[in-house]
Amino acid sequence: MSKENEYIECPHCGHVNPPGTQLCQSCGLLINDDYDKKKIKDVMRYDGSAVRSKVKSSSLFDKIWIFFTSIRNGVIIIALIAIASAIGTILPQEYFIPVGVDAADYYKEHYGTFGTLYYNLGFHNLYSSWWFLLLNAMLALSIIAASIDRGVPLFKSLKNQGVKKHPSYYKRQRIYLHNEEASKDDVESLVKDLEKKRYKVRKEENSYLLEKGRLSRYGPYINHTGLIILLIGSMLRFFPGMYLDELVYAPEGETVKLPGTDSKYYIKNDEFIIDTYDKDAGTVFDKSLENQEALASNYQTNITFYENETSDIVGSEPELKEVDRAEIKVNHPFKFDGYHLYQSSFDNSAMKSMTFEIQDDDGNVISEPFEINLKDPEEEFTIKGTDNTDFDIRLRAYAPDFLEIGSNGGLISQTPVPRNPAFIFEVKDNDNNEEYSLIQIQDTTEITEDNMYNVKFVSMENEMSSVLTLKKDKTLFLIASGFIIFLIGVFIGSYVNHRRIWINSDNGLTLAAHTNRNYYSISKEINEILEKRNLGEVVDSDSKVHDERMKG
Amino acid sequence: MNKKARNILRITIIVGIVILTAATLWFNFSSKNQSTKVGDTAIDFKLKTTDGEDVHLYDVTKDKGVILNFWGTWCKPCREEMPDLNEAYVTADNDDFVIITVNVSENSQQINQFLSGLPEEISLPMAMDKDRSVTQEYNVGPLPTTIAVDKNNKIVKKQEYQLTKEDIQDFINEVTD
Repeated sequence: MSKENEYIECPHCGHVNPPGTQLCQSCGLLINDDYDKKKIKDVMRYDGSAVRSKVKSSSLFDKIWIFFTSIRNGVIIIALIAIASAIGTILPQEYFIPVGVDAADYYKEHYGTFGTLYYNLGFHNLYSSWWFLLLNAMLALSIIAASIDRGVPLFKSLKNQGVKKHPSYYKRQRIYLHNEEASKDDVESLVKDLEKKRYKVRKEENSYLLEKGRLSRYGPYINHTGLIILLIGSMLRFFPGMYLDELVYAPEGETVKLPGTDSKYYIKNDEFIIDTYDKDAGTVFDKSLENQEALASNYQTNITFYENETSDIVGSEPELKEVDRAEIKVNHPFKFDGYHLYQSSFDNSAMKSMTFEIQDDDGNVISEPFEINLKDPEEEFTIKGTDNTDFDIRLRAYAPDFLEIGSNGGLISQTPVPRNPAFIFEVKDNDNNEEYSLIQIQDTTEITEDNMYNVKFVSMENEMSSVLTLKKDKTLFLIASGFIIFLIGVFIGSYVNHRRIWINSDNGLTLAAHTNRNYYSISKEINEILEKRNLGEVVDSDSKVHDERMKG
Repeated sequence: MNKKARNILRITIIVGIVILTAATLWFNFSSKNQSTKVGDTAIDFKLKTTDGEDVHLYDVTKDKGVILNFWGTWCKPCREEMPDLNEAYVTADNDDFVIITVNVSENSQQINQFLSGLPEEISLPMAMDKDRSVTQEYNVGPLPTTIAVDKNNKIVKKQEYQLTKEDIQDFINEVTD
């Protein structure tokens, strides 16, 4: 066994200390003068206890552990996460690029080689890229390892600390006072006064230990616990059923499946409403509204909410049971079964239907208008003409996104989406005269010659669709509580002071004090009492050095 | 804490984090839409055909191999291979397999318009996947995509471009073995 692995018996009080201990846990004698002085400059930071990882390493697990206990490695991991996050903001993330566009192509097209590199390294989806997750896991391990490595020995040290301390321990503290003239009564009343300042007092023979605010030392560990909960919460988001964020595109009047719910829930968009502010409402805002175009005061979707009662075989006709009706407004989502359905935006760019009428050669309208639904056009119908003629209309061919006329005379579409609709209408009058015409946007072509009845485009109606967001987040509770614990830890670590005062009455009054922050305040606290009893004054030795340096 | 307890704690924490990370990565990547591969189990579905009948995949696979042909009238290679598929199906005259075409997102008007323009009558069942739910579940990318499903509901062959007559024969052989 090397020297580093030996338990150390204190030559002064006989307490057996774990390997690597610097200050005797019991009496505070410096027992390991040369141990790791370079690495830990302030022996009091962990109360002179052995930082575990600096002690021994043997198995692979120990080596991994020790790697992650290193503050330096922890800082490197944090820096890498910070740099990656920064790079992730240079180009837009994948969820900001247009829906339906191939991400690889998009990044290449818009940002060239850099974009391709960005995409291939996973920066386009930073928060779910494997290496970013791995970095977060390493951060979690680093936080846990470093905390246990330092926190456990510190906890033990503080728990096992003895009341009696070696004279050298007194002298080593920044606040130190020796007054040979003080009597035992002086010391006792001094301790009583300090006790009133909410110090906990322990006594052993002629030695006293006064302590308060020990919790302060655990602040960093509390805030690390919060961070770990936060990290676990953010990882759980990837687990099935924990987190959902989906767009729902619901055209007015249509029933749509809610994505991510295994076909269990459907909604029907009964009506989408946009209200605008009234410009003549007589309020103070009238003036500013005057200069605006119509300003929306409310976006609202009225929905019917359905549950699907059939088994969930894909594609099968759902058996919907109406469960609820609701009005979804911005910031007032519809809630069900842990899901929230929010109003997100709306879209009226999609074509819904086209309206036509029949004109004669001179351009006189000779029929009532008729509407063709572009998604599901009716193939045969009859419309009324102006002078008691009825027209039988047949839609002989329809292409939602017209490309060309096929070899068999049909219309060929480029896509199934109504973007550039074209129609071939057959118009038959009461005398069974058949006429054919090809209608495209802004263009009517006669197929049969010298048509009497020209089908003319009247108007196009767009489809109003509400865009909703379906959200579910079961990790929110974890993330919120993690954050609160983190803040509590920061508060405790920053605003609570751990103060200890050691007093000995063997030879007059010997007093030493230690705090983890704000020596000025503890000096003041002690001096107020010392002054009252005429026992002298303590000076923070560090501030003395500092002051002298300032004097030059 | 003695040495043994300490080692157990360290190992538990390291292994715990590794498992949590591995699970996170696994769920992250398995949830990304992966395309259907040969060897996967075919997902069951139920669609209406243009004739108003139901096609239930697992019902059909009970005693027949199935060739699924995802197509749309706007897709040129789909239009071209449809007569070939039909011919192969009719000439095979075999009760061991069926070719089911799955039209992606169109309505019967467009399908019938296309079919009526063909010189011969198509006798394949024409299933309609209007809301693309089956197409999405199978993660069909380009059209046409043809997938062979055997009687055990296993996907045995897949092709994402136009089938030649030989390809069609290969597909038939796969599902009738």
